[in-house]
Amino acid sequence: MLQAHSFLWNYLWVAPHLLLLTLAALLFRRGVALQIPSFLAFAVVEAAGGLLQFWADVTPSVSALNYWRIAWAALLVESLLKFFVTGEVFSRLVKPYSSVSRVGRRVISYFGAALVMVGAVVAAFSHIDSDTWIISDYHILSQTVFFVELGLIVGMFLFAAYFRLSWDRPSFGILFGFGLSACEHLSAWAILTNADLSTHGRTLLDFANMSTFHVCVLIWFYYLLVPHKVAAPVPAAALSENNLEVWNRELERLLQQ
Amino acid sequence: MTLWIILVLCAVVALAIILRITLRRALPVPALDLKARIQPLDVEAFRNLIDAHEDEYLRERLPGRDFRAVRRARLRATAAYIRSAGANAAVLAHLGQAALSAKDAATAEAARQLVDSALLLRRNAAFALLRTYIALAWPDSGPAAAGILRSYEQLNGSAMLLGRLQNPASVVRISAS
Repeated sequence: MLQAHSFLWNYLWVAPHLLLLTLAALLFRRGVALQIPSFLAFAVVEAAGGLLQFWADVTPSVSALNYWRIAWAALLVESLLKFFVTGEVFSRLVKPYSSVSRVGRRVISYFGAALVMVGAVVAAFSHIDSDTWIISDYHILSQTVFFVELGLIVGMFLFAAYFRLSWDRPSFGILFGFGLSACEHLSAWAILTNADLSTHGRTLLDFANMSTFHVCVLIWFYYLLVPHKVAAPVPAAALSENNLEVWNRELERLLQQ
Repeated sequence: MTLWIILVLCAVVALAIILRITLRRALPVPALDLKARIQPLDVEAFRNLIDAHEDEYLRERLPGRDFRAVRRARLRATAAYIRSAGANAAVLAHLGQAALSAKDAATAEAARQLVDSALLLRRNAAFALLRTYIALAWPDSGPAAAGILRSYEQLNGSAMLLGRLQNPASVVRISAS
């Protein structure tokens, strides 16, 4: 069952990408895609890249070298798009809050730059796990991309949590999916790159990567397509129970000084 | 060998943070429970703590070692006030956001002002806390938290305005006498 090119393997490789294409089509039809256009681009490109890699993997006429070239191209384009999506989601988050919008963008930019530097250092100390550079460098680049991506996503979540900023449902869902995916993929690529795993161990990690991505696609379906319950408005009493008029009069006097 | 363990640990910690934030979002605290978390603050006492003249007076009257000990105690108290003010701002930001969708335009606008003031205070509280901790290491340095008092006063004004609009008979209190 947990073998390369088994039915489950093929399903986990193909199904999430087909689902992602379906999601992109549904988002486009419902007009949700216009809210976060970079996610629509990501969904289409990621799905096309995944299916192209699957085709290259199962087609005998495609050489191993050409397979890895395709994988490299897909990784570079998908990574760029993911950073565009996270940036767009963060902009949507802070845009309504003028008092933290500028500082938020600056903090996340500096944090991102620091993460790239740390990621480069981590990459420099990473183990070269293959004699073929195109394979070993692919593993190290994947590890670095997920390291930076995860750091940025956690930074954004913590920033929003600190300031109690309210997420809109699509933005939260997208970042939540990316976050879960990045946690698992970073672990998997770190182990794949730096630990001397058996072939079966590597296959199991591939299963873990594909399963996680499948779960993330379902999460995006849930957050982007299922309507959410509208929160009940705060009752007036919730903001007006402490009736200490004397103190408030004093405070107002102080504020007017 | 060590590198992948560190990276996996980073991923596990990140996962815990993301799941915790997701759970907190899924299980919102009722507004009344949130309001109970507001800690009344004595603005006058805070104003006294960050008064540069008080510090100058103490510096002139006390020997160096005694002054540093007193200044550290005052800075610790200042930090406690700033943490409380920041926590109050977080609660009010939360409450204000929930009131943003009010049908009454004046209430919605007051909620917007409250949220902006609360976020500004939260931001200032973070910077002021950082400066206060730095001042704790170098107690001879200048005042650490002058800006936060102004923000807190503005926040008080916004909270009271929103409270009055939502219920003219009573108001929100985030400071104590």
